[in-house]
Amino acid sequence: MAATSASASSSSNSAEQDALKALTFQRLHPKTYLERFVAEDIRPDGRDFDEWRDVSLNVGSISTADGSALVRLGSTTVVCGVKAEIAEPELDRPQEGFLVPNLDLPAICSPKFKPGPPTDEAQVLSDRLNDVLVSSCVVSTTSLCIEPGKAAWVLYVDATCINYDGNAFDATLLAMVAALKNTTLPKATYNEETKRTICSRKIREPLQIGRLPTSFSFGIFDGTHILADPTSFEEPLLDTTVSVVIDESGGLTSVMQLGLGIIGGDDLLNKCIDAAKDCWRKTRKGVYGAS
Amino acid sequence: MAQSNFDRRRINGPDESYQPLFESEDERETRWKAGEPRKGRAARDIRPIFLKAGLINQANGSAYIETEKTKIACAVYGPRQSKTTVYNEKGRLNVEVKFAPFSCTRRRVPIRDAEDRSVAVQIQQALIPAVRLELLPKSTIDIFVTIIENDGIEGCIAAGSVAASVALADAGIEMLGLVASSSAAVVGKEIWMDPTEEEGHIASGSLVLAGMPALGTITSVWQSGAMAPDEAIKCMEACQECCADVHSVMAQSLLENAPNT
Repeated sequence: MAATSASASSSSNSAEQDALKALTFQRLHPKTYLERFVAEDIRPDGRDFDEWRDVSLNVGSISTADGSALVRLGSTTVVCGVKAEIAEPELDRPQEGFLVPNLDLPAICSPKFKPGPPTDEAQVLSDRLNDVLVSSCVVSTTSLCIEPGKAAWVLYVDATCINYDGNAFDATLLAMVAALKNTTLPKATYNEETKRTICSRKIREPLQIGRLPTSFSFGIFDGTHILADPTSFEEPLLDTTVSVVIDESGGLTSVMQLGLGIIGGDDLLNKCIDAAKDCWRKTRKGVYGAS
Repeated sequence: MAQSNFDRRRINGPDESYQPLFESEDERETRWKAGEPRKGRAARDIRPIFLKAGLINQANGSAYIETEKTKIACAVYGPRQSKTTVYNEKGRLNVEVKFAPFSCTRRRVPIRDAEDRSVAVQIQQALIPAVRLELLPKSTIDIFVTIIENDGIEGCIAAGSVAASVALADAGIEMLGLVASSSAAVVGKEIWMDPTEEEGHIASGSLVLAGMPALGTITSVWQSGAMAPDEAIKCMEACQECCADVHSVMAQSLLENAPNT
């Protein structure tokens, strides 16, 4: 009994030691670690270059928010809530409401974020998300008007990352659009005499949603290899990140590129766009649920 | 609530926006009147707890707790090197609490304010006696709590302490015992356990107690509002009984997560 347990423990010990060595190598030489995997046509988490992580979407679980969504993209977890408030429209745009998206990457989600004001990464992501939401016209700001020039809805779309394992952009866009789709606003009427807007507790109307964009991000490693859906280990080692946004009819909405620039020219970009459309067709088509 | 702060690091909305006002005639008929029994539960029942450890794989330890409408995620990073140059013989325990902007009925501005800080201090006071900080010189343990949905501030403090304790255990940090916490409120002549936000508003006083049921000790008591001294003692006794139940839920969730690590 003791002998078998001793041999079992020694074999498990060597397996543990190997795992420890691999972990140390990963920590000290991350780029070489990834290069070794890429040479074998596989990635450290076992996926192929063009394989995407599973997505799960859960809407409407937060009762204090007017609309909410929780997205898990592999291990990356983002929770998004929509709060609606009322404000006076801008003077030069009296018929328009406001859509204010923001992504917060707090210290809870990753050891590389420290507590404090939003980091560069969070600011850049918020800005990119704002661009995509505005340019795809997910919610038309004119539909948010209650009384021209007097009152309009302001939708604060706040996303918080709970666990950051790479590709926060895709997960957050998914969460924001799903939360907006889930949002209901109380029926508001502007009273001319009291100059106040009163909302009904009983009647709630869903938002008028325009397009439903989905984004697909790729990382370019070593100038040639396209890795779909990079994890937090792969992200700092990539030269360039390309994000392709596709709307609900499979059409291309926008393409964004961050980083050193693509050496291969248009060819790599076309490959990314085709891979994104392919993934959309196969898995992400119905991700927002029946509309 | 008018807020006119321009935050240059975020996308900003209009200068001032306020919460929607509802018609007064729609006032809910479900207002509680004195002498009525509690709605939905018995006076001494706590809300069912869903507790899961290890959901945040980036952190050393983590826990997610859900009690009906209160949802809190907690992550522990550490022990890691203290950034200060001052030598600290005992480890430092640093707790940071963040309310998500959509977590309360009124939208919260993302800037941290006094309420965040006071909840953090209370969770820290509940945990410090339990963690063996003397084994971790020159180190800091960072506990980050994110409140995703808030239904009663006392419930948040209690659930936050429970989640932080489970996260610390999940991280493998040595402790003297698991810290369980529960809250109570005095409503009329009765003591109601685990009050929600509505119940907290109608209560005359509330109490949050944290302790280690395994050692039979109390680590922190916080009482606010008006209550007679004997009511306070009764609240504390009721909380201690609840803590024992909560402790078994915490131990169960850690055991369930153990084969995964």
